[in-house]
Amino acid sequence: MRIVCFIMLLIAQATSLFAYAYQDTSLNKPISERNVSFIDYPDFPEAHSTWGSIGYNPANNNVYVGVTNHADKVGFYEYDPARNQIQLHGFLKDLGHLRPFQWQGKMHSKIVAGPQGEIYFSTDGGESRQEYLMNHPHGYAGGYFMKWNPATKQLTNLGMGMQYESIKDVEVDTESGIIYAISYPQAHFLVYDPQKNLLHDAGRLGSSHVPRVLFTDWWGNCYYVDWRQRLVKYEKSTGKLVFAKQSLPAFPGTPGQKIVTGITAYAKNPDKKAIYLVTYGAKLVAFYPQETGIGKWEDLGGVFETAKGEEWKPYVPNLNVGLNGKLYYVIGGHGNYVRKDKTVLIEFDPEQRKANILLEFPIGRLTEVTGSDIRDKDGNMYFAGRKRPDRTENGSVPFLIKFNPEKEVK
Amino acid sequence: MYNSIIYSLIALFFVPVIANAQYTFFNPKGSFAIEASLENTDELRMPIYRNAMSSLTVSGDFVLGGTTAQKGLSPLLFSSSLSQRKLTAVKQLDDVVKGQLSIGTGFTGAKSGNVFYVGTMPQPGTGVGGHIIELQVNLKGQIIVKDLGEPVAGEGVFAMTFNPDKNEFYGIVHPSGKFFTFNLKTGKTQVYDQTVPSEKDLDTYHSFALEPEDYLGRSLVLDQQGRIYGSRSINKLFCFDPATQSFSVLKDELPFVWGREAMGRIDSWVKMPGDVIYGSNAADGQLFRLDPVKQTIVNLGKPIMMPRIMAMTPGKNGMLYGVAGAAPGYAHLFSYHPQKGFRDLGNPEFKMISPGLEQGINWRAFQIASMATAQSGNYIIMGENEALSQLMVFPAEDLP
Repeated sequence: MRIVCFIMLLIAQATSLFAYAYQDTSLNKPISERNVSFIDYPDFPEAHSTWGSIGYNPANNNVYVGVTNHADKVGFYEYDPARNQIQLHGFLKDLGHLRPFQWQGKMHSKIVAGPQGEIYFSTDGGESRQEYLMNHPHGYAGGYFMKWNPATKQLTNLGMGMQYESIKDVEVDTESGIIYAISYPQAHFLVYDPQKNLLHDAGRLGSSHVPRVLFTDWWGNCYYVDWRQRLVKYEKSTGKLVFAKQSLPAFPGTPGQKIVTGITAYAKNPDKKAIYLVTYGAKLVAFYPQETGIGKWEDLGGVFETAKGEEWKPYVPNLNVGLNGKLYYVIGGHGNYVRKDKTVLIEFDPEQRKANILLEFPIGRLTEVTGSDIRDKDGNMYFAGRKRPDRTENGSVPFLIKFNPEKEVK
Repeated sequence: MYNSIIYSLIALFFVPVIANAQYTFFNPKGSFAIEASLENTDELRMPIYRNAMSSLTVSGDFVLGGTTAQKGLSPLLFSSSLSQRKLTAVKQLDDVVKGQLSIGTGFTGAKSGNVFYVGTMPQPGTGVGGHIIELQVNLKGQIIVKDLGEPVAGEGVFAMTFNPDKNEFYGIVHPSGKFFTFNLKTGKTQVYDQTVPSEKDLDTYHSFALEPEDYLGRSLVLDQQGRIYGSRSINKLFCFDPATQSFSVLKDELPFVWGREAMGRIDSWVKMPGDVIYGSNAADGQLFRLDPVKQTIVNLGKPIMMPRIMAMTPGKNGMLYGVAGAAPGYAHLFSYHPQKGFRDLGNPEFKMISPGLEQGINWRAFQIASMATAQSGNYIIMGENEALSQLMVFPAEDLP
């Protein structure tokens, strides 16, 4: 039986490779690897990975990244584009005054800018033991909200979200400073006011998997998805959750496990009043929020043209929008690639609804890319990348990716 | 090259085994989840914050449930068809009784199979009391609700049971902890102080920062002689004999972890076929067996490390199922058999298929507050305790 299954697997694999091969896209683009720079994280030899843990601070035009050894050490980095310099500020356990029983496996959340030029992020257990050991001496205490003051270079630990729960993602209302968060593994939506130290648990919104991405609109409303991949909005003016009636678009046949994971990345284009979303089922969506109520959205199609029945397969946990209004993302990771053993950098024109491959990278050089909506004032876009040269658990090297489609960055 | 293909083949066969080792959930064949709660939908569903399934029973094909709402919102009664795997009715308690927060105790049945009784807790700070509610489920799963009144003025019905032979209710009220009897035929209520904590006990509770909802017994049970058992301060089990209208305190205390007696109280009882009665202590989640003849208990230990066993229900062949653990931890389903002991079955994760989710999604239960066994004995039903709670159903195992 196993042999039959394996032969069928091989046939399926061969079929899918053929399917990818026939859509070869021209690589003769003006964009070259001179438009991309891979920046190493200094002073952290055991650095393993970065997750959603990257963000941009418009107050000083700098990019911040949380880099982890995926066990108990999270380095906090700042990249200054003007000087082209990257600096390790320290490790969260030291900067945040954490005791060993308050260990943190990683920073999974993005890094978001607050109203006073400060930035916020949260921490994560990052280890399966967090779900099972609970109050055991080696158990996970819970994830923290943290604030970094760029002026004083001080990290403030704002306390825990929920006991035993990681905080997978945060957002901030840049007007009020209120922080939104999603917990793991129970997918509780949290609203935290650091000024008043008030934390409101709005309850569980997810299924068996926790969607990893929160995002806000121009008014400071925050969005998440429920288990039907319907947008759920925390409406600031009413303090209530508003649920979309319809689900976000999905390809026919998209498996349930993809639906419940919802959105994997977003990028905002205020000029177009659009927030672009990419789903775990590989759909691109232009979402047009409104101050009250849910707003409208438009299905932009798939992230890349693939064989019929497999449109939902490509994995895109990253998205940026250029000054030219085009979307940029890297496809690949978690075993889902549209080129054999290669990740691809895509340029997607929302007007034409067309995806072009700009660059291809062997997965030994670029395995997986994360990050949403990180662009500096000069139009440079940033992603958190990592490579897995030897495919072992320890064979993972993270680095910062700087990309500009309109000028060389090397 | 040949070796690497062989190794790849071996790896391919073992990868699923390795990957599943940590994340094996309890999802036996025939298990399913019913989507009972969903905001903003045309489907029949319960809205957010009003659907925590605090009480549950079964009438034929229909699961019948009562919910706890968030403060300021009215709780709901619902029914769900097991065969159709969908909600069949949702009714607002507010239409019948105003000012209630929770339908949390009871679901004891009358002699006629489709009539049930539940007790309610009022909205806090309103001065309104809890009520006894009669429910009837018709053949289409529709619920008919009748208010039987407020047994103790200004107090909530925290724990309640019903003796169908005597047509009499027995309950503990909140916040005082008084015990009441209410006769359905005569309408006569009697209130007793013997279960109320003493001043000294209240001081102890205060020093442990415990409120009445933390220390009052959550459940009552009847033995074959019609005597009622519950818990009272501190860490004691009491027995009320309606024949003599007298209370006694059992010699055996609730099983405890030293120093944590103040938190001892009954979390749930389950009456098995043959008058075997099991109880659980909320403080540390110990299961025990009550011998009603000798009026003694045997401590059977803990199924998991966390406190609480909020719900238990009979399985087949002498096995019971229970839910151990609660917030801030996660619920584990467990089973107990007198000969085989405990099994920790972990978080249940069942497939949910619903209109718009035809491909099915997995639903993992983290917080579970209630359980019931189908009248056929073939299904075990669990009710979630969430902002958006769903029903989890699995076939009762037929183990020897």
